[in-house]
Amino acid sequence: MGGLALGGFIAWRRHERPVASAAEVKRRHESRLMKMRGVVGVGIGQKDGKEIIRIYVEKESPRILADLPQALDSVPVEIVVAGTFKAL
Amino acid sequence: MTSTEDAKAICECQLLGLEREGMEATSNPNVVGVGIGRKTVRGVATKDVALKVYVKQKIHPLLVRDEQVIPDEIEGVPTDVEEAGEFSIWRPIPPIYQRKVRPAMGGISIGHYAITAGTLACLVRDAGETFILSNNHVLANENRGAEGDPILQPGRFDGGKTDRDVIGRLDTFVAVDPAGTNLVDGALAKPFDERDVTPDIIGIGRLRGTKEAVLDEKVMKSGRTTRKTEGTVMDVSATLRVGYQTGSYVFTDQMIIKGERGAFSAGGDSGSTIVAYDGNAVGLLFAGSPFFTIANKMSHVEKALDVQIV
Repeated sequence: MGGLALGGFIAWRRHERPVASAAEVKRRHESRLMKMRGVVGVGIGQKDGKEIIRIYVEKESPRILADLPQALDSVPVEIVVAGTFKAL
Repeated sequence: MTSTEDAKAICECQLLGLEREGMEATSNPNVVGVGIGRKTVRGVATKDVALKVYVKQKIHPLLVRDEQVIPDEIEGVPTDVEEAGEFSIWRPIPPIYQRKVRPAMGGISIGHYAITAGTLACLVRDAGETFILSNNHVLANENRGAEGDPILQPGRFDGGKTDRDVIGRLDTFVAVDPAGTNLVDGALAKPFDERDVTPDIIGIGRLRGTKEAVLDEKVMKSGRTTRKTEGTVMDVSATLRVGYQTGSYVFTDQMIIKGERGAFSAGGDSGSTIVAYDGNAVGLLFAGSPFFTIANKMSHVEKALDVQIV
């Protein structure tokens, strides 16, 4: 019985792609994202109890938004218009 | 002219000394103004319109000299004497946040002699020695300051002068790195006299210690420009590009805060301690955009400067 249950678990894992944590995905992609036009920051937020990647952009411009992904390695992305960050 | 306005003109002549044809102008030293408004009875406004006579101080009629008693009615219009005090123009008094205060506390204006002004975060300790904590760009002028440079309280923008408002000297700072990534915009100043500083933060009180903030946690800060404000932590692991006078730097593992009502911070608030509602320090405010505020994590600040919050 135990072996069967374990087999079932392995089969289930094979169909679902393993989802990396938001922190891991952020680390993988942030240097590339930070070089994109209009991107001022990358962070992690929460939506419906799940961690998501946040991309902070300078302004709401179609030219900036068009280049941004909707998800990264199956972690959803939320775009937040943040303006430009300056030392206060 | 209605009878009320006519009566008011008579009052202006006889109580305030304004010119009026065919009438001798006299003034009553206790009267500061005349107008038309609702008659109030025992503090409650009634529907009746009355001739309002505003006085410095309301005195019982029996104690007022006969010629200074205000009649119950003038030209058939009832009068109503109201205590208004003395009117004066509003002279702008700078708030405590921008004044010279000894002992100086968290939330107050401070800065390197060459910058405008920032905020004193709080006191920190290293091996029994007490230091003032704020940002590198507040106390060390973005890496350009040198150990021993005078630190003014209030900052130069708030009238601080190098001959009388120097509270201490620049001690240590974490250099900001234009090429790599940064965790902390922090610096320490050594006060000349420990009696010139106190661990309190204006409007917040003493800190309990340091902890890590969590997403959606409510926080507050006390700062030179926007004073005490409240906000919510919306990110605790942000990587951001921040513009400085000397260039733009990338910061990692930062917290982002959104103001509860309007902006959480503005220029001059740099250096404010971000405090959780349980009294623990969670961050050191250093930057912001028109929508959000950014703070270093206090745990990184303590580690980078090798100090503990007092």
